[in-house]
Order: sequence, then structure tokens, then C-alpha cells
Amino acid sequence: MAHSQDKSSALGQGVVIFVYLTVLTIIEYFVAVSFNATSLLIVVAIIKAALVMYYYMHIYKLNEADHGDEHSYAYKTGTNRLGLWLFLLSDGFVFAGLLVMRANLLGLTRPHLNQFLGLAVTAVLLISSFYMNRGETAMKYGDVKGFMRNTIITFVLGLGFLLGVVLVEWRMAAHEGLVASFGNPASGPLGGVFYMMTGMHAFHVFTGLIFLAVVWNNARKGVYTAEQHWGVEAAAVYWHFVDLVWIFFYPALYLIGTAVQ
Amino acid sequence: MKGFFSSALARGLFWQVIGTLVGAGLVTGIRALMGLSATDTFFFTEPAWVLGGFIGALSFLVGSGVTGDWIKWARGIDTPDHHEDHHTGWEKFVNVSLDHKVIGIQYTLVALVLISIGGLFALIFRTELAASELQFLTTDMKLFGQNGPQLYNTLMSLHGMVMIVSILLGIAGIINYVVPLLLGAQDMAFPRLNAFSFWIAVPAAVLLLSSLFLGGFDTGWTGYPPLSARAPVGMQMFFLGVFVAGWSSILGALNVLVTVVRMRAKGMTAMRMPIFVWASIATSLIALTATQFIGLAFQLVMFQRLFGMGFFDPAKGGNPVLFQHLFWFYSHPAVYVFILPGLGVISELLPVFVRKPLYGYRWIAMSSLGIALVGFVVWAHHMFTSGMNEYLRVPFMYSTLLVAVPTGVKFFSWVATLWKGKISTPTPMLFVLGGIVVFLMGGLSGPPNATVSTDLHLHDTYFIVGHFHDTIFGGFVFPFFAAIYYWFPKATGRKMNETLGKIHFWLMTPSFFVLTFGMMYIGLIGMRRRIADYDPALGIDTAHLILTISGFAIALSVLIFFYNFFVSIKNGEKAEGNLWNSRSPEWQVPSPMPVHNYDKPFEVVGEPYDYGLKDAGFVKFIEEPAKGKH
Repeated sequence: MAHSQDKSSALGQGVVIFVYLTVLTIIEYFVAVSFNATSLLIVVAIIKAALVMYYYMHIYKLNEADHGDEHSYAYKTGTNRLGLWLFLLSDGFVFAGLLVMRANLLGLTRPHLNQFLGLAVTAVLLISSFYMNRGETAMKYGDVKGFMRNTIITFVLGLGFLLGVVLVEWRMAAHEGLVASFGNPASGPLGGVFYMMTGMHAFHVFTGLIFLAVVWNNARKGVYTAEQHWGVEAAAVYWHFVDLVWIFFYPALYLIGTAVQ
Repeated sequence: MKGFFSSALARGLFWQVIGTLVGAGLVTGIRALMGLSATDTFFFTEPAWVLGGFIGALSFLVGSGVTGDWIKWARGIDTPDHHEDHHTGWEKFVNVSLDHKVIGIQYTLVALVLISIGGLFALIFRTELAASELQFLTTDMKLFGQNGPQLYNTLMSLHGMVMIVSILLGIAGIINYVVPLLLGAQDMAFPRLNAFSFWIAVPAAVLLLSSLFLGGFDTGWTGYPPLSARAPVGMQMFFLGVFVAGWSSILGALNVLVTVVRMRAKGMTAMRMPIFVWASIATSLIALTATQFIGLAFQLVMFQRLFGMGFFDPAKGGNPVLFQHLFWFYSHPAVYVFILPGLGVISELLPVFVRKPLYGYRWIAMSSLGIALVGFVVWAHHMFTSGMNEYLRVPFMYSTLLVAVPTGVKFFSWVATLWKGKISTPTPMLFVLGGIVVFLMGGLSGPPNATVSTDLHLHDTYFIVGHFHDTIFGGFVFPFFAAIYYWFPKATGRKMNETLGKIHFWLMTPSFFVLTFGMMYIGLIGMRRRIADYDPALGIDTAHLILTISGFAIALSVLIFFYNFFVSIKNGEKAEGNLWNSRSPEWQVPSPMPVHNYDKPFEVVGEPYDYGLKDAGFVKFIEEPAKGKH
């Protein structure tokens, strides 16, 4: 009985955090369209990032002391967890470098983009993160079926984000005059920054989708249990990391500064 | 020979060639369908070479089999924790092994190969510089689609980057071999990632060197746009090679950090870790994070060339100075990546040969971290003449001068450790002492470059070249040789020849001083760096001739080292015990060590460097047999 109560409270926490993130995203959007408040947007992004890192990515688990045998699964998972987070730290520097590039080349201007589409893909990615959290929680309580169901939803939403950016947004941006074209002399930093940032992020979404497909398939084969599912945890943390990056990239590309063509 | 052709190395190289052809062929086919030109000066077009090079590197990794276990895991197949290694003798080193000791030696061997190649490049252009006017790299000669001066530029640029990659592999070699032994671990935290980090460096080196044959490039190792945006295809291979090598460095650093945090022996608290471990942490923190910036900077130039995105093209509204910021944000801390392990080796070995405790252990440990952290905020001192905002100059000048403080802490500790010690000078100790003196010269010639008023004159002169070689020889090359002479018996059970080692040292050190002081001297007279020729009116022909001769003397000393190295593997004097009389755990057991290192785990019961104090042990082996499966 206690077991199912734990599970439902863990799922409930996921819902609450999702509501917070949604509200903050809406605030962010309306702040941006109503008045010019760059620093406020940065603060909101940092709050969203902190929520994701703590409640969805469980960064505090790095601090969990683990006792016992060095060859136990629990101890190895602790080691793997540290390795994964160091990898994310390193990867984070790529995205930080891209933000530096954006600040240097564009300053307080931004490309002219379709605001509705931007908000839509952002929402899709956020919802996918929510389902990823549900999937991981299900696995934590040994519910393999629930994990697989939620992972499929995550995968579909992630694929939707990827196609939305690469097929729809990139084409529309091209119509707006943002051309990263082959040798087009008119293509300035606006297009270069937009395609480089969304492209690097899309590449990470793509690798995340492969990762999700791999753990889904392994779950189907019965590789994971409630006690031993490091692969699932790693895929979930990586997926949330991709969302985390977008939390900063969305305002950087769509909201901060004034749109120029 | 049969063993070689079926080795992972040969398979990897074979698949790299196939992968390159497939990738390049794909692009060529698409271009042909689109009606674009399908071939160019170097047969394939530039986009074809880039995609081909990238797919070639991936094919190497899959073909060599280093990713085999990961592919199995992805398919849900479990693999044993450790694999039995069937290979013996030299075949162990050309095949995939998960043993950190084998990987450490693999790294070291590739580093030595690259040092030889980079050194050979230097000898070629140093010979050209021996007299003013162009002697053999003339405008009439043609090689690999380049004339003499172009070839000079390519060799000069490649000398820089090949040496940098060899240094990264060299420190990775020492760290890989030594750190798990010092910690009492059975292996690195992620043995497969460790093997991957090594093997990815091999295709990277191939890509880097292939730039010589694809038109070369003339930007120097820095690859600044706009010049790098219009150099021949070789430029792209250079960028790609560095990008791939960067992943070796990043993933290796990640592994070191996790190993240190998770795999220490019982009782080894932070302040009882051997000092080399602290140096490895500091260097890994930089390599893990900052390396991404050089990867990004090079990637952006690659994309600018391939897709016309004008990041660094002022004509399109881009900013070339941005490249320099991104580039130096890694490339300055990178020199601390090179030297911190070397300085760690000095601190580690000095007490052994002085028979005294290391002076100020905590201060040295913290000074490594201090150098690493300050290193993150000094990058723009390379850009005083670049046209960046002038108000940035002064803060970067002061932050750079601040580096002297933690470095000074190290010198103070070394001198205090030497003070009144019972100094003995076998070959490793000679190189330690040589490293200290040479690094001091590098350190003292640094502040004139850090100070804006003097740097405006010294920038891009040979003075900088002299300073840089002093820091890198003192911070890496001398300690690297010291480490090889010191740990060679641990790896092979035999000792390197002492007489040849001493000849190596006494030939290399004076020649090196002549070389670098000569470089600084001609730099002050007006010799510029990176230029194939100079005006006879400068009156530095004789100085250049002497520099060239000392360059060849260094090469000769390194040849003696190589002879010593390879002969001693088979015929060196047997040395299976604690021949340096060290307190360090790896010397308390016979050499060479078995696959999983220590038969019995040990517990740390004292301070690591209490030499000369009675009954002060560092480690105690736990007598009961080790628990758990391997």
C-alpha cells in the first residue's frame, strides 16, 4: 500500500513541476511580447532550469552517499551518474559557447521568426519532458509497461519537435530571408546564428531519440528492473538536458531583443 | 607481421580509408546529381573531403572494435566486466585493451611517434632558417601542390598542432598509467570509455597529418579567420583532426575525474592523495570543459567555409575577433593542461630523490587548482593587438600576472624541499631538476608578454616563441622524460640505461638553453615568428645558424633516448623491486604489475611524503584476500 502511495506522490510531483514550468513559460512569453525586459527573461529561464535540474534530473542524487561493495550495481550506478553529469557539464559548454556567439554577433537584436511556431515547439518539448518523467517514475516502481507507454509518447513528441524545427521552422525562416545558403552572399550572422543554434540543439534531440529507442527496446526485452535501470535513468536525464538547453535557447532566439530582418 | 595485419590498429586504418571513400563518394554523387562540379584540385571537392574525413574517423572506431561492447549493450546483451586479453608482447599495444596500464603505454607510444613527426617538421623549417634568403624551400619547388614558402607555412603550422596533440596524448599516457596505481584502484572508472578515448586519437592524428597532402594551410596552429576561411582544403582536415582529438581529451579527462572521486583506496582522504593526483584533477577540469570552445570555434569556421554562414566574415556582418575569444578561451587554459601534470610529476618525484617530506603539500595541491581556475580568466592576453576593446587589456593583464602567484608557490615548495636534502641524481632526478630550471626561465620571460606596454612590441616576435618553448619544455617535456625514466621499470621490469640517460640529459639541456635564449634574442632584434625568411640586414644570420645547430643537437639527444628506450625493453638491467626506494604504493609490489594491479588492497595509514621519518608508512596492505568477483 505504501508502495503505491509513494508512486502516486512521485507522479503527482511531476505534475506540479510541469504546471510550474508551463506557467513560467506563459509568463515568459507574455513578458516578451508586452515589454522589453531581458533580465527578467533570463531570471525566469534560470528558475525553469533549476526546477528541471532538481525535480526532473534529480541532480541531488549525486550527493547520495553509497555504502557497500564497490562491485554492487548501486555503487556502479553512482559512478555512472557522476560520469553522465560531467559529460553534460562539458556538453553545456558547447551551448554556452553558442550563446556567447549569439550575444556577440546579434546583441539586442534577434531574427524575425514565427512566434506561434516557436511557442508550439517549446510546448511540445516541455510536454515530452513531463512524459519522460512519468516513464522514469514508472520504471522506478517496476512498472515496465507504464515506462514503455510513456516513452513512446515522449518519443513521438520529441520527433514532433525535431520535425517542427527542421522541416517547418527552417523552411519558414528561409522564407523570412534567413538563409544559411550555399554561398549566398547576403547570408549574414542572423541566419548563421539561427541555423547553428537550432541545428546543434536538433542534433542533440536526434541523439536523444536514438537513446530513447534503445532503452525502449531493452525494456521490451526485460533488461530493466525496479532496482537495476541505469540505462533508463541516463536516457531520462539526457532527455531533460536537451529540454534544459531549449529553456535558454528559446528566449535567446525568439524573445530577447528586437526582431530585425 | 601477420599479427599486425589482423590487429585492431590495422583494421581501424583499413576501415578509415573505406569510410573516407564512402563518405566522399556520397557527397560527390549528390553533387553530380545536382549538377555541381564533382571533382577539384585534390580529386574530391571540399565538402566531400570533410564528410569523408568525418565518416572515416567513425569507421575507424567501429572497425577497430573499440565500440563493440557498447553496441552489445544497446542491443540489450550483457558483457563481462573484464575481458581476458589474449595478446602478448607488442601485439597487446596494437589491439584494443581495457587495462589502464596498456592504454597508458599506448598513449605514450603514440605521443612519442607524434613528437618525432612534429620534431622532424621543425628540423626541416629550422634548416631553411639557418641562413637568410630561401635555400631549398624556394618558390620554384613543388610538393603536395605547394611551393616552398607554402610548404614552410604548412610545416610550421603542423609542427604546432602535432606537438600539441602529442602533448595531450603524453599527459594522458602518464595519467592513465599512474593515477589508478596511486589510488589503489583496479582500473579506471570506465575502462571502455578509456580505450575509446585512446583509439579516437589515432584517426584524429591521421586526419591532422592528411592536411599536409591536401594543399596544406598557412595560418599557424591558431587557424585565425579570415585567412583560415580561404586556405586550401588542408585547413578543413586540420580543423577536423583537432575536433576529433578534442573528444579524446574531453572523455579522458571525464574518466580521470570520476576515477579519483570514486575509486580511492580506504583511508585516502583528499589531503592524503599523492600530489600527482591533484595535478591530474586540475588539468582534467580544464580539459573537460574548455576544450568544447576550441571545438566550437573550429566547427564554426568549417561551417562558414561549407555553408557560407558568415560568423567571422566582416563583409557579412560577422566578427573575426569573436573567433579569437572562443579559440583562446580553450587555448590559453590548454597550456595549463600541458604543464600541470608535468609540475605534478616534479612534485611527486622530488621528495623521492631528496629523501625529505614534500614542503607545503596542501599549498601545492591548492596551487594546481588555483592555476587551473585563474587560467580561465586570462585568455585575452593573446589579443592585446587584435583590435578588441581597449578597456579589456588592463584586467586581462592583471589576471595574467596573478598566475605567477600559485606558480610561485610551487617554486617555493620545490626549493624548500631541496633545501638540506640528501640529493641523489639518477636520470629521472636530472630531468626533474632540469624541468624546474627551464620552467623558471619560461616563467620569468612571461611577465614581459603579459604586460600590455611591452607586449605591443613583443607580440608575434620570436621572443614569444622562445618563452613558449621554455614553458612547455620545463612544464611538459622534461617531466615527461623524467616520468618515463622513473616508471619505465614499473611497466617493463627493466631499467633504462643510466649512462645513455645522462648523455641524453647533458646533450639536450644546454642545447635547449642555447635554442630558447637565442630565440628570445633574435626576437628582440626584430625576427618575426612564422615567417619563412628574414632580412640579412638584421644581422642575425649567425644566431640563426647556431639555433639550427642546437635544434639538431636536441634531435640527436632524443634519438639516443629512443635507442635507449627500445633496447632497454628487452635488454635493460632487471629492476623488479623498489629501485628508487619510494614510499608510493605502486613500488611496494613487484614490477611489472598484473592486469588488475594489486593482489591485496591497501589502506592509507600515513602521509604520502614523510621521507626520512622513522616508522612513518604511507600504505599498509590488507592481508585478507580481496572480496568480490572481478
